[in-house]
Amino acid sequence: MALEILKPGLATTVQDLGRPGYYHLGIPLSGGMDRLALAAANLLVGNDEGDAVLEAVFLGPEIRFTTDAVIAVTGADMPLKIDGVELSTWTTLAIKADQVLSFGFLKAGARIYIAVAGGIDVPVVLGSRSTYPLGALGGHQGRTLKAGDALATLPPKRAMAPGSTIAPERRRGPGTSPVLRVLPGLYWHRITAEAGNGFFDDTWKVAPEADRIGYRFRGGRPLEFVPREPPFGAGSDPSNIVDSCYPYGSIQVPGGTEPIVLHRDAVSGGGYFMIGTVISADMDLIGQLQPNQKVRFVKVTMDEALAARKDAQATAARIRASF
Amino acid sequence: MNEPVARRDVFPRIAACGDCALAIEFAEHIDEAVNARVIALATALADCPIAGIEEMVPTYRSLMVLYDPEIVSGRVLRQTLATRLAGLAVGRTPLRRFRVPVLYGGAAGLDLAELAAMKNMTPADLIEMHASADYRVYMIGFAPGFVYLGGVPEALHTPRLPQPRQHIAAGSIGLGGQQASINSVPGPSGWRFLGRTPVRVFDPARPQPFLLRAGDRVRFQPISLEEATRLDVAVAAGEIGMTAEGAL
Repeated sequence: MALEILKPGLATTVQDLGRPGYYHLGIPLSGGMDRLALAAANLLVGNDEGDAVLEAVFLGPEIRFTTDAVIAVTGADMPLKIDGVELSTWTTLAIKADQVLSFGFLKAGARIYIAVAGGIDVPVVLGSRSTYPLGALGGHQGRTLKAGDALATLPPKRAMAPGSTIAPERRRGPGTSPVLRVLPGLYWHRITAEAGNGFFDDTWKVAPEADRIGYRFRGGRPLEFVPREPPFGAGSDPSNIVDSCYPYGSIQVPGGTEPIVLHRDAVSGGGYFMIGTVISADMDLIGQLQPNQKVRFVKVTMDEALAARKDAQATAARIRASF
Repeated sequence: MNEPVARRDVFPRIAACGDCALAIEFAEHIDEAVNARVIALATALADCPIAGIEEMVPTYRSLMVLYDPEIVSGRVLRQTLATRLAGLAVGRTPLRRFRVPVLYGGAAGLDLAELAAMKNMTPADLIEMHASADYRVYMIGFAPGFVYLGGVPEALHTPRLPQPRQHIAAGSIGLGGQQASINSVPGPSGWRFLGRTPVRVFDPARPQPFLLRAGDRVRFQPISLEEATRLDVAVAAGEIGMTAEGAL
């Protein structure tokens, strides 16, 4: 064993880049909410980009290492300490057997990624080590970590010199006034034009119900629907549809009041209409939003969405090239 | 140029759902022929794949396609799918039939008595009606292995609860609107529940984690508490616990 969990944090899980291929069976992708930060943490310890790491949200865990190890922490701005001494994040660090990794209070962002050289060794389930708690799948016993859990690591692949770092300008955070870019979608035409404009004009706040399944937002005006007859099987609420697939990033608005953006642990389907989809390039950003943070949704075109996707890939490529 | 957003409910329609997904919607209501077309398209795309499609999610009335825009552009994919759609033939695929044992009432039958009262039936009448219907698996999804069924007798159509319950056990047998369910994992639900099956429609520890797929036919078989207890033990030991009634 290499890691002993002394305090688990709020909801710390083992994650890699996820489990594609089973969405039609109700099993979502899972994997890191902020994939770029996850990949960066892995690169800093000489792992492959998609090796399994720990993802902690809002509150960091406390971990005693039982063997010497090389680690790195990326993602949210949360002070990192080894035996109480504050050290740099986004940097390769050596930790010795019996030393304790802990964290201070979160300053910005939401999720940190703790990579250990070799990667966390949990069984591969349906092609991935990611934890999907709702399905009790993957990770450490299919659940969030608890105090007393012991985790092993796999043999390191490449040696990384302590002190290696990712330049601050290549790190990405939520910023002070985050904007989520949206492609209007399947059922956009079911709300009135004024409601559509209001959705993009209003400032929204991240609700406390914000987790790996989805992020809920409140504070904007309720949507007004274009009158219509509900189809057989859909129910009488105008925000209901006959159950359909929810793609990642899709924005459902139950009752027309509070939009929910589905994330990596999305439910694969359900009976709420979707007004659009957050573009793929902005999904990592959602994973770094905190409750009560103010957010705006901005309408983009497909070409703008694809250009943003290219930009995000270029950022990842620059980080990769620096190793 | 923006991708055209579907403005009207004209079917079939192909619409972008973000920059990595397209939905092919055949209709907006529950209909067996519509679901057969959804499955036929998914089958055709599985048999003769389009490069760039990563996952396909069939639902009651639409097929969601997740794709990699670095391999195929949404515009090209939309056109290719429209061509495939135009030539789509709904073949006669062999049906699989299953009989799922259900212990009606008891601790898992949270809403049996109230629902029977709402419908002016005795619980026994309601059970008989629920168990005599022929259901079609329209879709797997929402949660891992969750079974969405259509074919609910009209007399049993029931509005969902105003407030969802926080914990519904795996194996619960539910009704929501015109839909029925076999719940696969524990979780919250606003549906109404009549009983439970010892069968685990989803079990990641089993070599075959999922027992049912879209297009399958299901009937419910009322069982006694003794039989349910016996099946619980058998299922825990790795048995499937339900019988296939063979292809039609």
